[in-house]
Amino acid sequence: MVNPTMPTDPVEPPYAGHGALGLIAAEVWDHLWPWSRTGFARQRTLQAAGLALAAGATVMWVLAALGRLDAGAVIGWWFGWSVFEVIVRLGSKPYVKEGPWWGRRYRKATLMDMVCYVGFKNLLIGATLFIALKSTGALVL
Amino acid sequence: MLQDDPKMNMPAPLRKLLTGAALALCSALALADAYNAELPAELNTAPDLCRLAPCTEVLPGATEFSERKGRPFYVEGYAHKDGQRELVGYVMLSTDITDIPAYSGKPVITLIGMDSTGRFAGVKILKHSEPILLLGIPESALVKFNDQYLGKFVGDKIEIGRTRPEEEIIGLDAISGATVTVIAQNQVMMTSGTAVARQVGILEPVVREPARFIETGRTPDWAALVKEGSVQRLTVRPEDVGLPRNGEPFIELWFGYLNQPDVGRALLGDVPWRKLMERLGENEHALFVIRSGGKESFKGSGFVRGGIYDRVQIRQGADTFTFRDLDYLNLYGLAAAGAPAYDESAIFIVRPEHQAASFSAAWPWKFAFLGNRVDRATGQRSFASFDTEYWLPAHYLQGGRPHIEQPVPPWLRVWQTRALEIALFAALLVAVGIVYANRDRLTRASTHLNKWPVNAFKYSAWLISIGYVGFHLMAQPSITQVLTWFHALLFQWKWELFLTDPFIFLFWIFIIVTVFLWGRGLFCGWLCPFGSLSELLYKLGGAIGLKRFQFKLSKPLHDRLKWVKYAVFAGLLGVSVFSMTLAEMLAEVEPFKTTFLVGLLNRSWPYTLFAAGLLGLSVFIERPFCKYLCPLGASLAMPSTFRWFGLRRKQECDTCKACAKGCGSLAIDKDGRIDQRECLLCLDCMVLYTDGHGCPPLAQERKRRTKAGLPLTPIGADGYYIPIKPVPAKTPATV
Repeated sequence: MVNPTMPTDPVEPPYAGHGALGLIAAEVWDHLWPWSRTGFARQRTLQAAGLALAAGATVMWVLAALGRLDAGAVIGWWFGWSVFEVIVRLGSKPYVKEGPWWGRRYRKATLMDMVCYVGFKNLLIGATLFIALKSTGALVL
Repeated sequence: MLQDDPKMNMPAPLRKLLTGAALALCSALALADAYNAELPAELNTAPDLCRLAPCTEVLPGATEFSERKGRPFYVEGYAHKDGQRELVGYVMLSTDITDIPAYSGKPVITLIGMDSTGRFAGVKILKHSEPILLLGIPESALVKFNDQYLGKFVGDKIEIGRTRPEEEIIGLDAISGATVTVIAQNQVMMTSGTAVARQVGILEPVVREPARFIETGRTPDWAALVKEGSVQRLTVRPEDVGLPRNGEPFIELWFGYLNQPDVGRALLGDVPWRKLMERLGENEHALFVIRSGGKESFKGSGFVRGGIYDRVQIRQGADTFTFRDLDYLNLYGLAAAGAPAYDESAIFIVRPEHQAASFSAAWPWKFAFLGNRVDRATGQRSFASFDTEYWLPAHYLQGGRPHIEQPVPPWLRVWQTRALEIALFAALLVAVGIVYANRDRLTRASTHLNKWPVNAFKYSAWLISIGYVGFHLMAQPSITQVLTWFHALLFQWKWELFLTDPFIFLFWIFIIVTVFLWGRGLFCGWLCPFGSLSELLYKLGGAIGLKRFQFKLSKPLHDRLKWVKYAVFAGLLGVSVFSMTLAEMLAEVEPFKTTFLVGLLNRSWPYTLFAAGLLGLSVFIERPFCKYLCPLGASLAMPSTFRWFGLRRKQECDTCKACAKGCGSLAIDKDGRIDQRECLLCLDCMVLYTDGHGCPPLAQERKRRTKAGLPLTPIGADGYYIPIKPVPAKTPATV
């Protein structure tokens, strides 16, 4: 029987029953570390990784050819990594949170859910890192 | 009209209209003349500016022009009358004077002519990078805007907005939809004009009361001088001028004001300081400069005897002071303990009377290093100025530092002058937020036959959004703003840039907050001016008898086409990384500029046809642009995946199709699940959710209870009648 109260079927990640601090720590780890043991066991991940990295490298080199190597390399690398991460997560941690971010409801992630999750998360992480690199002068635009 | 047929049932005329609109979008684009125009490489440096720039166009009557002169640069224009050469006026290149950026983050390079009495005689845009002027608004609008300056005196208070005689402010008509551009352009015009007018004596110098020093007899060391601000540092990094970072500064300079006895003695030593002061005339000022880092010379390698040091200057207010060879003295050493090692040094004398200006050490001033910035992508050089403010500490001045009225920043001026409109707009946003937060009350007060408790608010929001927000305020959010923010985040974030358009600024705060609270639907479904206009047309079409022609695409086709908008968004984002210009052009897929900013009748026919075609199609299909093409909607749909509070569902929704059939957004799938990325929060399904006659599970329960003679309890938050629980009768108390 389908549960229509969620856009996809509910899922319980291993840490769903942890206490508040444990849950926060586990979610932070989840945001930063896309792999899981079960995910490694799947060969399609490796294949997808090759494709994703090739796509990322292509973008990077096109940008480099346009004379924007410094910032372009970073954007290209981050884009490539994000594609890779989407595919890795779909194999290893295929769930997203449903409803309030402080809640404990999780659901199965569709491809678009994962694209939205990784895209949004990596945009925030990327922007933070980009600003940090710029402010230290490590990145020249 | 509900459409259950899985095949698409689009009337042939509409198909043709859609095809025509698509073809129109792809038709040739009319490029603006000055948009990213290629200018001669030596335009910024050549002494003979008018050999490279059309000076005669901005200074009518002039037939001969001088070379660049003064600081900042200008040229003089002459006419020949009766064999006599007569000064007609002055021509200036805006980037010689200021690098104020416009909306694109780059300056609008403007050639400005001013007659000998200080009235603007001509303005010509040589180059701009304003995306809105590329396609949205004809470049002639900026030309027309600039024409407003002609004949106006440079010393007048000229501002964007209405004329206010009581404040002696002359108002200029803005360009609708390009407010930020014209505000920046006004700053460029007035800054350039006044800088030259002061130099040539048209504007009286600002008289500042001279500083009266307090002499304490203390001799602070270098660290103390730096700490109290008597010595300041100016550092320019290689990346600031477009060079690769190498860990070393491009140039690191220290400077300070020497006339103040305590500071001067501490820096030079008593005897050298007294000798220096003896050499200074009345109202002359000395400052020292040393270079402690970098290899670039602040004196300039090309300095010639009798010339001007063209790499350093000081500025006080609108007055600029440069140094000639006679204004230079050797600095033989620094006496202050702890002074850094240096390999280039100077003492510069400020002689205000030579430059028709006044200088006072009691007031703040800036020491500026002038250079060229190299664009790493194009290799083009542009003028760049780096400065550090200096203000003598209050304890060295009798009576302390004078009070200074800081000029109101242009963005703040906009907020002040449009305060009422801003307040009304903010009230609208808050009101819509409050109404939606109380949606449960409204949907419970509605039924599937009477949705007015919800629709009264929603339709009001649409009407206000179309009329007031769209056509009057022109505050239509756009994907170009998302792209601009993305690039500002990467390259140069300036709050002022975004604050200059208060309506768009407030709208985006509302959008960001509500997307995370409820999803994109509150903006897209209730307040987007184009979306509101689109759905209003659909409702009006139905009301005037066109209902039988109205249709929905089949769900399978819709489920395929809905991805197009995400592809459009991804394409625009990707293209913008390579070329913001191209992305801005492609963003014309949004008909917003044509509809609200420029007007359907004011654009070339392909754009008008495209926008009108989409609006025409909206009479027959509910929000076709929003569902299938809108890149802004797609960009907001993605974070809507993680909205906090979604719409409610019952378990029976998995088999019941009542809500799905009525869903205009086609956001409910065959299992009764709502796609939060597609939902526009019309609340029709929420009306059914608590409608005892419209919601099949509730209707069933209602009939069962009525038949059994049981009371109809209120409907709970879970969408069901509150269960009737038998309570055991109380046992009579025994005495």
